[in-house]
Amino acid sequence: MCLEPSREIMTNSVIKCENVSKQFYSDGEMVQVLEDISLEARENEILVIFGPGQCGKTTLLKAIAALEPATGGTITINGKKKTKPGPECGLVYQTIALFPWLTTMGNVEYGLKVKGMGKKERRERANKYIKLVGLEGFEKSFPIQLSGGMKQRVGIARVYCNEPDVMLLDEPFGHLDAQTRYLMQEELERIWQTEKRTIIFVTNNMEEAIYLADRIIVLTNCPAKIKQEFKVDFPRPRNITDPEFLKLRKEITGILDPLE
Amino acid sequence: MIKRLKKINKAKIFIGFASICGFLLFWYLGTAYTEVGKVMASPIDLFWRFLQSAYEPIGPHTIWGHLLSSISRVMMGFALASVCGILLGLVMGSSPLGEAIARPLFELLRPIPPIAWISIAVLWFGLGEMAKYFIIFLSGFFNITINIYTGAKAVDQELIGAAKMLGCSDRKIFTTIVLPSSVPYIFTGLHIALSSSWAAVVAAEMVRSTDGVGWLITQGMGISDTSQIMVGILSIGVVGFILSSIMRGVEAKLCAWSRVEKS
Repeated sequence: MCLEPSREIMTNSVIKCENVSKQFYSDGEMVQVLEDISLEARENEILVIFGPGQCGKTTLLKAIAALEPATGGTITINGKKKTKPGPECGLVYQTIALFPWLTTMGNVEYGLKVKGMGKKERRERANKYIKLVGLEGFEKSFPIQLSGGMKQRVGIARVYCNEPDVMLLDEPFGHLDAQTRYLMQEELERIWQTEKRTIIFVTNNMEEAIYLADRIIVLTNCPAKIKQEFKVDFPRPRNITDPEFLKLRKEITGILDPLE
Repeated sequence: MIKRLKKINKAKIFIGFASICGFLLFWYLGTAYTEVGKVMASPIDLFWRFLQSAYEPIGPHTIWGHLLSSISRVMMGFALASVCGILLGLVMGSSPLGEAIARPLFELLRPIPPIAWISIAVLWFGLGEMAKYFIIFLSGFFNITINIYTGAKAVDQELIGAAKMLGCSDRKIFTTIVLPSSVPYIFTGLHIALSSSWAAVVAAEMVRSTDGVGWLITQGMGISDTSQIMVGILSIGVVGFILSSIMRGVEAKLCAWSRVEKS
């Protein structure tokens, strides 16, 4: 497959986090989860947030989505301050979180339906994205009938179809077996190449991060702070055995905190 | 396509059939050769009595008439219990205020067996149909409410979050998320309630009535006719089984999403 390396990544930022922090009280003790995080995601780029397990990556995503708002700092999406969950952010869950009583079609068109779009129009649009994620022929299947990888395809199509300003992917392939995981990484890249979106992708898997990212932000362990940012500018699709890939991998490994 | 598991286990069916035959044989031998068995109708007598009751009236009706009165009583009370139970269950499960008001009262009344209300029901409503509807209503209502309340409470918060992020308004969360995800619980509640309503109608009819399967049993006891009693008891079993099967069929259709096999 040959993909042109000169894709457009705009320089204007879609999402901006300024000095975001989050703490909560647990058993009378204050726990700081996020500390002074400032970052921005630019239009149509894949920004990967990489950090060790339990470091607060998911907390950061949920703060961006305003599902569990941050306690300090501001988050703006296209210049508008984000205070409550809404369709401008689309979240793909680690747990997939499909509506089990709806078919593939029902799940994908859900966002359009609650917004009141007519049946013909939303079916057309949903069909386009079902095709895009490679689920043609499974429109009438319920989630329980699909495999893990297929379910997550539905999860991605559901968010894509809703056309959010930014897509948040919370370790979306974390529950999949290794082989399906590689396949889904390739698939996500293909889908994104076909129709560009601004994506913030959270993962604790370094190969996944380097494979997908335009930029990688490495977080420290709890409380999560920004440790360093890496630009990944070698051409896609990337190969894990490329010298550039390995070099970057070594570089990132070098700055990680030793895990106790 | 929903592919249902249609593997019929032949050995299982055969063993089930053999077990019923064995039971009938045991029964027959008991009535034919033991002292105690003399006061009991044998399965063969009972079979003929059953057929006879289909065209020859016992009291006011044939067996069909008695079943019809009992079933219509159940349907009346059950329908009332379903409507009230689903509404209260959903209110308690989705509104904290509703829960705070209704829960304590509900928990206090729930453990009381419906039979215990019979005397009060007779005092309030007299000996007519209303008292029976009331008893049946009670026996279904609490079962339905508690299941639907549990269902509405058990809605996955992540799904509510997902719906909001897809642009769903708070009002539509109820109709598009809470309600559909409670459907399996609603059916569990209705299923249990139907069985207990059917049990309650017999109890209500045994207290005082002029027809119905409960009457068939008490009247049979009055005239020491064991085969009439057994006809009553067996038809309760058969009808209960049929009602339950119908319910399961409807449930399998509507809740396909929660239990279909992987295709």
